[in-house]
Amino acid sequence: MTNLEKYVKAFAEALEVPENEVPALKYGESSQWDSVGHMTLIAALEDAFGIMVDMDDIIDLSSFEKGKEILRKYDVEI
Amino acid sequence: MLLNGKNALITGAARGIGAAAVEVFAREGANVWAFARKPDEAFEARLSELAQRYGVWIKPVYCELSDTAAIKEAFRQVMADKQPLHVLMNNAGVMGEDRMFQMTSEADMRRIFDVNFFAMVEVSRLATRLMARGKTGAVVNVASIAGIDGDSRLDYSASKAAVIAATKKMARELISLGIRANALAPGLTDTDLVSGLSEKVTEAQLAKILMHRKARPEEIANVAAFLASDMASYVTGQVWRVDGGIL
Repeated sequence: MTNLEKYVKAFAEALEVPENEVPALKYGESSQWDSVGHMTLIAALEDAFGIMVDMDDIIDLSSFEKGKEILRKYDVEI
Repeated sequence: MLLNGKNALITGAARGIGAAAVEVFAREGANVWAFARKPDEAFEARLSELAQRYGVWIKPVYCELSDTAAIKEAFRQVMADKQPLHVLMNNAGVMGEDRMFQMTSEADMRRIFDVNFFAMVEVSRLATRLMARGKTGAVVNVASIAGIDGDSRLDYSASKAAVIAATKKMARELISLGIRANALAPGLTDTDLVSGLSEKVTEAQLAKILMHRKARPEEIANVAAFLASDMASYVTGQVWRVDGGIL
């Protein structure tokens, strides 16, 4: 599985949305991606890539695209 | 067994209530990551002996809790084990010098809050993210009756009151992830932490307790095991006094 596939799968499973809807997701704009969904998502990303996300990055992770940028800091290229 | 098949993380596991909790949790079937400050052969020998006796694994993890980077490194070790985390017992705590309100400096308070509150919050953040993966978990924060009654040192009492407030905040937010959070408020307990209390203070405390004695550390750990277990599945956001009866 590629990193992109793992990334999409983490979003889809954590937020319980179809994979084709994942790229458009933004924090707070869908009922699934609320504060609770956010923590589930962070946990899923940490699990998928074996990383530990810093508090500032948890706050900054506001969209599917922003998440890619943040993961680069942890040497994860999507 | 109350905790059969569960994996628990206990901070301050080398001494006092934490050391007792390692044994009680293991006895009840839990595997344990035992957080302690410094590598210690006697500590590791005890963990090995308990693991063998109760048929569980118990792993030492060394971490200076006043150092956020060290906490993260400790959690990397926990994550590397690729095991789910079910229970967190935030037990590590320190008590400052016995000073009057007017004589307690900001530096004193910050030092106590670093371990008793800020480290507890950081450990809880990281641990509950691990728990969130399984949508289940239990957090037991060791506060103190001093955090309710305010009858101890300013820095210690205030830090434990903060632990109680944080526990209630955690309970509100984490229940949607299937995680319960409760605080334990021990009274006078027979540990190193209270051994520095003067005889006069100790006697005054004992006089208020219906049982007229200190708690044994395992008596506190037993309640922690209950709160951590599925037997307490309808208990969250509560502060459990375990004080021998102070009315």
